[in-house]
Amino acid sequence: MKEFLLHLFIPRESNNHRSKVLHHSNLLLTIVFLFLAGFFIQSLKVSFPSVLGVKVDISAEELLLLTNKQRQGNSVVPLALNEKLTEAAVKKADDMFGYDYWAHNSPTGKTPWVFIKSSGYKYVYAGENLARGFSSAQDVVKAWMESPDHRSNMLSSNYSDVGFAIKMGRLNGEETVLIVEMLGNLSTPIVESSRIQEVATASDVKNEPLIDAPSFSLNIGIIIIFIFIFVLLLDMIIVEKKKIARFVGHNADHILYLLLILSLVGILSKGVII
Amino acid sequence: MFSNLYKHSGYYLVLFIIFILGFLLAYSNRSNENLQIGIIIATTFFYVLWGIIHHLINHDLHVKIVVEYILIGVLGLTIIFFLLNAI
Repeated sequence: MKEFLLHLFIPRESNNHRSKVLHHSNLLLTIVFLFLAGFFIQSLKVSFPSVLGVKVDISAEELLLLTNKQRQGNSVVPLALNEKLTEAAVKKADDMFGYDYWAHNSPTGKTPWVFIKSSGYKYVYAGENLARGFSSAQDVVKAWMESPDHRSNMLSSNYSDVGFAIKMGRLNGEETVLIVEMLGNLSTPIVESSRIQEVATASDVKNEPLIDAPSFSLNIGIIIIFIFIFVLLLDMIIVEKKKIARFVGHNADHILYLLLILSLVGILSKGVII
Repeated sequence: MFSNLYKHSGYYLVLFIIFILGFLLAYSNRSNENLQIGIIIATTFFYVLWGIIHHLINHDLHVKIVVEYILIGVLGLTIIFFLLNAI
């Protein structure tokens, strides 16, 4: 066992002074393994979503609570949940899934205001924030607050009402969670109590699979990157120390490239907002 | 490692520029996944090209080295695709 591990990780005579892990055949094997594992995870996600799926726990109540917390912290009047804006947000989410797009304006030319007007909300001011791929309300609100445009929408005193839609579906061939936030202000004041509405249950998404697929894959990806960085570093140090001449690429180049991939993995594992 | 980085600082400056540009473009296009993937593939392509040119200029280019850079590049891309399959 010890010999095998040394053969795998330490450059020595048995592996032609190059860690076996870094041999072309092993690099190819890792690529094939990752490729097949990716397809396996994808098919498991489709066939057994309760075992391996995307863990999501987002509710309109929580989004409202967190949004109003931010508004109160910035001395802005809290928003009230509005049934018509919720209906507009649900329609927008359905439209995005139906026409398979991810944008403020639909491919058929529908702006967000079309959905708000069709729900019967006669606004003076209106705004829309979109998010996808997030698993918690905290992450959504945090991402919106970190983006200047979304932040100004969330903290604008021009809005008094809000409606949320949180829906799970397939977008661009991927299972994802869409979050639509419709903000508005009515042209005519209405009775305060009638503005506070129950949140539609369709707006809450809770999915708790046995294994959270994104975290599971992220961990595997990170472990593989670290193993290769460690082996490349070890290989480089030992060979430099022993002053062995070899016809191989520069390990430092590969380490830098894998560090770039690691940072890109960090971006890709987060949800996106527009 | 560090002596090599210092000796080839000019080459590594180019590599850093490629990586920083690739990262910033991928980050700023987070809402467009296809474009983001295109940027990552392009960054990997330039990394492989940079590696080949670097070895060519240093007169130690060999077909084994070309294959190695390609395999490391494909490995990086496979990790990205593996992750995208699960998200």
